[in-house]
Amino acid sequence: MTVPTTTVASSGAATPAPLLRVTGLHKSFNGVPALRGVDLDVRPGEVHGLLGANGSGKSTLIKVLAGFHDADSGTVSIHGRELSSPFGPRGLREEGMGFVHQDLGLAPAGTVLEHMALDNVGHASGFRRVDWSAERTRVRELLDRFEVEVDVDATIDMLTPVQRAMVAVVRAVGGQERIAGGERRGQILVLDEPTVFLPRHEVGMLFALLDRLRAAGDAVLLVSHDLDEILQVTDRITVFRNGETAGTRDTAGSTRDDLVQLILGARDEHVAKGAAVIRDDRPPLLSARGLTGDRIVDLDLDLHAGEVVGITGLAGSGFEELPELLYGVTAPRAGAVVQDGTTITDLRPAASMARGVILIPADRKGQGGVLGLTVMENMSLPFLTRRARGFRIDWKAIQVQAQEACDRLNVVPPRPAAQFGHLSGGNQQKALLGKWLDTAPRVMLLSEPTQGVDIGARREIFKLIRAAVAEGMSVLCATSDYEQLVEMADRVIVLDEGRIRTEIHGDDITKDALASAVYAEEAS
Amino acid sequence: MTTTDPVKTTATPKASRRTTKRPAEPERFALLGVWAVLFLVFSLIVPETFPTTANISNMLGSQAVLLVLALGLIVPLRAGDYDLSVASTLNLSAVVVAVLNVNQGWNIWAAVIAAILVSMVVGVVNGFIITRFDIDPFIVTLGVGTVVQGLIYQISNSVTITGVDRKLSDTMLTQPFLAIPVDFYYAIALCVLVWYVFDHTAFGQRLLFAGQSRDVARLNGVNVSGLRWVSMIISAGVAGVAGVIYAGTTASADPTSGAAFLLPAFAACFLGSTVLKIGRFNPWGTLIAVYFLVTGITGLQLMGAQQYVQQLFYGGALVVAVIMSKLVKTRGERRRQAEVRPDVPA
Repeated sequence: MTVPTTTVASSGAATPAPLLRVTGLHKSFNGVPALRGVDLDVRPGEVHGLLGANGSGKSTLIKVLAGFHDADSGTVSIHGRELSSPFGPRGLREEGMGFVHQDLGLAPAGTVLEHMALDNVGHASGFRRVDWSAERTRVRELLDRFEVEVDVDATIDMLTPVQRAMVAVVRAVGGQERIAGGERRGQILVLDEPTVFLPRHEVGMLFALLDRLRAAGDAVLLVSHDLDEILQVTDRITVFRNGETAGTRDTAGSTRDDLVQLILGARDEHVAKGAAVIRDDRPPLLSARGLTGDRIVDLDLDLHAGEVVGITGLAGSGFEELPELLYGVTAPRAGAVVQDGTTITDLRPAASMARGVILIPADRKGQGGVLGLTVMENMSLPFLTRRARGFRIDWKAIQVQAQEACDRLNVVPPRPAAQFGHLSGGNQQKALLGKWLDTAPRVMLLSEPTQGVDIGARREIFKLIRAAVAEGMSVLCATSDYEQLVEMADRVIVLDEGRIRTEIHGDDITKDALASAVYAEEAS
Repeated sequence: MTTTDPVKTTATPKASRRTTKRPAEPERFALLGVWAVLFLVFSLIVPETFPTTANISNMLGSQAVLLVLALGLIVPLRAGDYDLSVASTLNLSAVVVAVLNVNQGWNIWAAVIAAILVSMVVGVVNGFIITRFDIDPFIVTLGVGTVVQGLIYQISNSVTITGVDRKLSDTMLTQPFLAIPVDFYYAIALCVLVWYVFDHTAFGQRLLFAGQSRDVARLNGVNVSGLRWVSMIISAGVAGVAGVIYAGTTASADPTSGAAFLLPAFAACFLGSTVLKIGRFNPWGTLIAVYFLVTGITGLQLMGAQQYVQQLFYGGALVVAVIMSKLVKTRGERRRQAEVRPDVPA
């Protein structure tokens, strides 16, 4: 749809000076590197796509620029001015960067005007009177200029999703204009997966807005997982892989295959999955029948003993939702969960646990464990429910059990008294896995089980899961990490807009096959 | 269990670390030290009145009501909920005892049981609103507490009722054991009970998890709403018991004085969370905090300070307590983190 108005030359004197240049940025968490020296430059009047698999460092970079994390080393220059981290709590906003995060950061009950005025007032000293009529004029002018037809007095919850996204974008732009003052300088707008939650047919409206920004000489850094979108709307593309810049390409002349190759990097060898006997001759351990949630639509699925079923798709396709639906965290809108031939009526976490179905959530810090408590306390929780029917907790037995689990799973440090929050991500996950495996579950639901987990611990976690499956357990693993699926899964189901798009079995599960299934062209 | 063989072998060399000593945390005992110093200082300044049996016995006995109230309050606090209605519930309980016993001529024990049941109803209402409609307990209990205060005026006709059956006073106050009023021992017994429930029952552990993270608790099969509801009923019921003790110690009930217990109770709970188990509401810490506070106030009053010193001390203690717990927590955190760090694979 968009033909770049200015042909971007990849070299030569004609190249305009970049608005934003990132050089050699490093950042690690708990000793696990997230960024290992990334480079990026964004020129005025371009929409620059940023691609990369999960954990490749895209969101870490944006969080550093937004002042959420401090970088360990490296420089950032904006408008030719060189800056180094830390950038302070407001990040690089003062320098002319605007950020639109996936959740847009809008309060449903506030009006468009209030949101825009907030940015303006937030900068002034506290007691300054808000000049509402001037503010109204400014906001109207801004919305008009970008042809966003929204009433300034409308509250956010009255707007359609795409209108909200556009308001968020204009708001980010407007916020910077004020800061620049006087003469309008080129702005840099960072959009973090803005289209995930937008209806397909409305995405074009947002992209038209990006075109108007480009025409005004601004730069847009667009983070997305959607290759088609990136190919359609950007001028240049940078790909991150494992915390490094894998390469930058002009969009014109790039194909989806080039990009997939760049995202995935060199193919590596499969790891033996180990023999597990899939008992699909027996009735499934857990099934979904016509299950419908917020994103998932009418899903049928059988989980058999002895198999690892992977489920994946683009962000927003609904794969993230499935473990929670099956566990009973959120009530399904329609459909049923069937276990051992009976339809489950009491679909709650406590009841699921009693039936031997367990969930290890993706949000390890918020939902998996309590950071402020000890490892042992975190590991004791299911056993309070299951075993300590009596009036007294047998702390000694729990201590012994926790110690055994820590030793068996090689949790470092192997001390149940250590505070859970001080363990690295991989060790936290191993502790949680150990806890749940000790409850002898029949079905294990995993959501992004190796997110934020270093490579060594990943392997150990895969081994643990394969070993559990070999003993007759069934595992559902929802993840956007293809490598993990290749290593672990017996079959992978790819979702698209809540429905099963395709299913890949056994040796056909490769990163390429998964990537092309996930990024497949939309059937029109 | 399900997974034994694949990784078992890797664990053994690390097992020696198991014996690593827990880090000593001198901060855990800081308040006890300050208390001891305070006691010593007052004993030196006012030696003829402060370190006497009568004064110590008075300090121990006079705080029983507050201690019982605070021990009830730490239950919802542990579950992450504020209960601002405890003081008016205490007052309600005392007034119900007096009205039923004096005005209606009920048997004193029947009146006591009725008062505790009425108090628990307050907790039932609190818990119902909080869990059913998912509203912040802070605001719910503030409102319900005010409604309760209104009810107190209504049933007491806004007057002080005197002449509660002496049997109640006898069991609370007038027959001291080892020169200390018996209500002190009731408070200690409750302290033991709460400690046992918190540290040694599944209920106490689930409360802790519900307070630390509702999501984690729920995903681990804990009935979080039920638990929060029960904790509100417990705190109201215990406040009712505190009200009964209060009525016993004064042999009367007035419609307003209960409100004065609210801030000291919160001060004791928060100050208590900086002792023994840092960052956690715990009964023994609360006990220490209650008696630390009364030592300070009594000492200052014996030195000739005015009544207002009480407000200064309780209010100041609450603020200092929350700052302290924050500071101590971050410090401890850093040290413990440094302990774990070297083990993290790079």
